[in-house]
Amino acid sequence: MSDPRDNVQQEFLAEAQELVEALSRDLLLLDEAHQRAERPDSSLINEIFRSVHTLKGIAGMFGYKHVGTIAHALEDLLDDLRLGRTDIGGPLLDVLFDSVERFQRLLALDDPQAPEEAAGVDAYVVAVRSIGAQPPAEEGDPLNQYAIGSAVLSVLTEYEEHRLRACIREGMQLYRLRATFDLTAIDDSIEALRDVVHDDAEIITYLPSLEGGNDESIELVVLLASRVPETELKAHFEGQYGTVEAIEEQKHPPTVPPTLTSIPPGSQSLLPEPEDETAQASLRSLANSVRVDIRKLDDLMNVVGELSLVRSAVGRAVAGLDGDPKYRQSLRELDRLGRGFERQLFELRTRILDVRMVPLGQVFSKFARIVRQAAREHDKQVRLVITGANTEMDKLIVEELADPLMHLVRNAIDHGIESVETRMRLAKPAEGTLALNAYHKGRNVVIEVEDDGGGMNAQKLREKAVSRGLLTAEDSQDLTRQGMLDLVFLPGLSTNAEVTDLSGRGVGMDVVKTNILRMGGVVSIASEHGIGTKITVTLPITLAIIRALIIKVGARLFALPISAVREAIPFAPRDVHTIQGRKVITMRGETLPICDLAPLFGLRAADQQASRFVIVCEMGNQELGFVVDQLVGQEDVIIKSLGPTLSSVCGFAGAADLGNQKLALVLDAPALFSEYFDGGEALPSVEAHA
Amino acid sequence: MTAGAQRATLVPDPDSGDGTVPVVAVLAGSEIYGFPLSAVREILMPPPLTEVPRSAEHFLGVIAVRGEIITLVDLPTLLKLEVLDRQPLGRVILVDVGDELIGVAVDRVVQVSQLQPDQIEYASAMSADLSEYVIGVARIPSESSSAVDQMVILIDPGALLGGLT
Repeated sequence: MSDPRDNVQQEFLAEAQELVEALSRDLLLLDEAHQRAERPDSSLINEIFRSVHTLKGIAGMFGYKHVGTIAHALEDLLDDLRLGRTDIGGPLLDVLFDSVERFQRLLALDDPQAPEEAAGVDAYVVAVRSIGAQPPAEEGDPLNQYAIGSAVLSVLTEYEEHRLRACIREGMQLYRLRATFDLTAIDDSIEALRDVVHDDAEIITYLPSLEGGNDESIELVVLLASRVPETELKAHFEGQYGTVEAIEEQKHPPTVPPTLTSIPPGSQSLLPEPEDETAQASLRSLANSVRVDIRKLDDLMNVVGELSLVRSAVGRAVAGLDGDPKYRQSLRELDRLGRGFERQLFELRTRILDVRMVPLGQVFSKFARIVRQAAREHDKQVRLVITGANTEMDKLIVEELADPLMHLVRNAIDHGIESVETRMRLAKPAEGTLALNAYHKGRNVVIEVEDDGGGMNAQKLREKAVSRGLLTAEDSQDLTRQGMLDLVFLPGLSTNAEVTDLSGRGVGMDVVKTNILRMGGVVSIASEHGIGTKITVTLPITLAIIRALIIKVGARLFALPISAVREAIPFAPRDVHTIQGRKVITMRGETLPICDLAPLFGLRAADQQASRFVIVCEMGNQELGFVVDQLVGQEDVIIKSLGPTLSSVCGFAGAADLGNQKLALVLDAPALFSEYFDGGEALPSVEAHA
Repeated sequence: MTAGAQRATLVPDPDSGDGTVPVVAVLAGSEIYGFPLSAVREILMPPPLTEVPRSAEHFLGVIAVRGEIITLVDLPTLLKLEVLDRQPLGRVILVDVGDELIGVAVDRVVQVSQLQPDQIEYASAMSADLSEYVIGVARIPSESSSAVDQMVILIDPGALLGGLT
């Protein structure tokens, strides 16, 4: 862990991952624009170019030869694209999208130079080269028709020149903006100007003018292209930035055509090259943020945990002094300090948790590519609608969610959304909609994967479950419609018979459910035949620290995450009825199944006469009451895992330190729920622990 | 957890120079077992124990050691030793089994012995049918000269404790 080379390697991988993710996001925007037959935003293409360029640079430094080779080929292709030497189109986009996958695979390799990858990389590079440099039909050079002035034209870079031509071809009007900038803040001012004009106009270039300016300021001539009428542009800029002047189209081209391709060496320093901008941008981002290994945050959290323990120990020591009038004044002061200390601790913990939070958009954006790809493979049209991408969750949960969610997304496209022909026949829009929604609900985050496809056939699911022997025919008669839908979560229901290259990769819905349960979440399903399916995943915002209800069963303490608890009510044994052997109570006119934890855990319950409690818990759309002997109180606890050896013991999510080396096992409410509701008539009887 | 725990267990003490193997000898029931010192992280007085319902009988529960939750295994129960007149927990040794630290409850720690290579008789050379976690036995001369030698059963902690359920 302390090997510096290893750290550097991790740094590289993290940065490369980020670049590839950014690349993937930008490509989707590009694809969207292309689908809508819009002109791709030139700044977007630049963004993509920069990502690839940076990736090439760092891959070279760290010996990721294949990544570097691909990035290099793509860089050429993207350069052709931004210089207008090639046109955007399906094949070009395919090649670009393909690169994302390739980068990710190559970055995951143990050996970044793996010789067996060379052939694939070479083939890909050939494919990239075959697409690049198909020049669009050449027309008369439009630049000559404008009085831009050869002094300006001669210092344009090839890229700026291309943008200028492109803008003219698109019928944009050219303007010359003269503005004075403070020398000390010139970079920021130009950046701000870029932001302002972005919607209205495109900045082709800017040069210092020969007039104007003094020691503190400089006058720049900014060459703008815009669709906005002159008057409007003037209203926007004049006064605030400087004067705007339209560059008229000339009837007679200038007699001396400027040399367009060569850049005089001396003038280059006046014009920032795109390369320089990249360097500046990345330097800035380095200064403002640091990448931190999540384990370091865990360590910090442990320290906070230890601090709280110290705090309660001090509290107990202070309490020992109570009653002595000599100390009354000091005790009051200690008490006040103690509370202040606790507040600060709470603040510290909240801030650390906050650092661990990342927006779900990080994982959602990966799906955009998968959806596009899956839809293409299956010849379906799918529109992905994402809401709540800013919803934040603990980094670990977001990471863990990627696979289960990916499965749900693929399922929705593979089994949910119908082919275009089917949809047309059913008078549905040809394009199916897949919605990924995320939002906060109390202390939980809800994520929905919703499609407007064919929905699930509940009866068919039941028949299949019976034919696979997962359910007896008699039992299946008792199932409600919801019960039949829930069968989809049974292991072994979706089997090889229907494996497709999309969703049948050996993981079924049961694995999705298990993974989400493991994170302390629940999955529920709603589906209308012919209308669509909605899978709802509910998860705690963070795993690390939870508010827990401390309860006593027999003589032992347990912690129950409060996120699952709805209320606690006194338990009256005479209210208990049994329905088919299951104990229930009636609460506010509704029947609530209950589960006595003492026999479940093989513990002897406290005196039956004593007042016991029912803790009503809620998971998804199910309710269950746990009968416990005593409510001890609420506490914020850090859940720690039980370690691999005990992980197979069902019903416990981990252990929490209550101070004084006293541990309470944390009940795994989702697991207990699924044991109770899916585990057959009765919970397995447990031998009392010796 | 320490990476690179020794699964191949009998590692001579690098400082000794003469190939001696340091072993922690512990008493379980009436037998003495030896754990290679290279796999033993710590010897503790038993901290407060939290039992884990529904776990197998050889698991005593979990303990907290410096913020980490450690599973505690009862050595006599695990080895199915008949123990008469069981004493309360004596000592806990923390053993590194590779991916996890496991607490092993023993009645008492006898000593740390430096075994000479010629004191060790490997299981593979013995005709007795021994469990796969027994590497071999070693004879240690008893402290009182009159008594017979003590027999120490050498344990491979990875084989004994790794992948317990």
